[in-house]
Amino acid sequence: MAKRIVARDVSAYYGAFRAIEGVSLTIEPKSITALIGPSGCGKSTFLRTLNRMHEVIAGARVEGQVLLDDEDLYGEGVDATAVRRTVGMVFQRPNPFPTMSIYDNVAAGLKLNGVKGKQRLDEAVERSLRGANLWTEVKDRLGKPGAGLSGGQQQRLCIARAIAVEPQVLLMDEPCSALDPISTLAIEDLMTELKDRYTIVIVTHNMQQAARVSDTTGFFTIDGPGQPGRLVEIDATEKIFSNPSEKRTEDYITGRFG
Amino acid sequence: MRDTYHEQLAEVGDGLIEMSRLVGSAVSKATTALLDADLDAAEQVIAGDEQVNALYRQLDDVAVQLLARQQPVATDLRAIVTGLRMSSDLERVGDYAVHIAKVARRRHPHSVVPIELRATILEMGQAATRIAVKAGTVIATRDLTLAAQLLADDDTIDALHAQLFSQLLSPSFTHGVEAAIDLALVGRYYERLADHAVAVSHAVTYLVTGEHGEPESYASE
Repeated sequence: MAKRIVARDVSAYYGAFRAIEGVSLTIEPKSITALIGPSGCGKSTFLRTLNRMHEVIAGARVEGQVLLDDEDLYGEGVDATAVRRTVGMVFQRPNPFPTMSIYDNVAAGLKLNGVKGKQRLDEAVERSLRGANLWTEVKDRLGKPGAGLSGGQQQRLCIARAIAVEPQVLLMDEPCSALDPISTLAIEDLMTELKDRYTIVIVTHNMQQAARVSDTTGFFTIDGPGQPGRLVEIDATEKIFSNPSEKRTEDYITGRFG
Repeated sequence: MRDTYHEQLAEVGDGLIEMSRLVGSAVSKATTALLDADLDAAEQVIAGDEQVNALYRQLDDVAVQLLARQQPVATDLRAIVTGLRMSSDLERVGDYAVHIAKVARRRHPHSVVPIELRATILEMGQAATRIAVKAGTVIATRDLTLAAQLLADDDTIDALHAQLFSQLLSPSFTHGVEAAIDLALVGRYYERLADHAVAVSHAVTYLVTGEHGEPESYASE
């Protein structure tokens, strides 16, 4: 199920502007990798190269290779939609489909992928909501609008929606920055459970969150305005937060820069 | 919530309890080595200290990881800060047991303790073992009444320490300077290790109350 991600010399552009340069790293399956760094360092851009969301923006392109196990996501003839099905994404603001019920929010991706039959859909919706630790809270109101849930519940609904189509990798772009601390801890607990089945990559501004939740942490930075973002260091989270190898990493995590 | 975090916190507590169990048994065995000129017991205490030191380093690592990664606050924060101090105190208790065992080993096959001082040393050894074991119980239970009792045991050891000195300085002590030095050192080791157990008692008081008070002021009847 969960797949290994290998990025080789990945650079990403917005038109002529090079947003990230030469990023190479390996993300192990069934682990949580956190990407941290100051604003504009390219960590979100890099995340979006992992499921071909970067190129959705006009003029944006990617150089280098991103291998999912052995398959290059940017290889010839690879269908970007299929990539996004395999590599799911959860965004900063909880974004349930506003007019849809809780049930339909989770079932939407399944229906789009041709899953039919009430029983199959029911099972998949329950499994996904359980997987997102939301089932007991919503099982009696599946027909109610998803937008009526609290922020933390909406974000778990979005996670349920993402895992409903059984992806192999989950990308999370600041998934807790719009949530209160308790909902944040609930999402973090959920991530820890999900990593038994998925490869998880999370971008976060919250260093403490990276420290709490991830197995591996990568630090990105930029040398100055207009410069491309680069990966400075990636290592076991306990190493990064207790004894990083690069002085720039230490300066950032101790609040001396950035 | 936060299962890994709570497991690691429990690991600090369990590690301290295990350390206190090991050093309590080391103090007891070192006393046997001393009183019975038991070389085997002395060697066991000396070799066993490596396990205490390994636990001490391991606790350091876990505590640093917890501080670096989990942002502990309130009681959890005090549990880690005091945990670091207590593991250092317990490690010292283990070292003093080793010192005592080494005195026994150095004199083997002769006994360090002349017959007329046996009672004093035996009592010191028993009180020291008791206080080390109690420190472990105080860590495990966070019982401040017991923490206060531990201070009373320390008074007993201090009194025995003073008594030992007067026995050594008495004209009736006829075993020579070397023997007197050994015994003075042994007495000093017991007295010091008891002080480290007292420090554990104070640390637990701070852990429970968040204040730097004496455990008596918080002990229940």
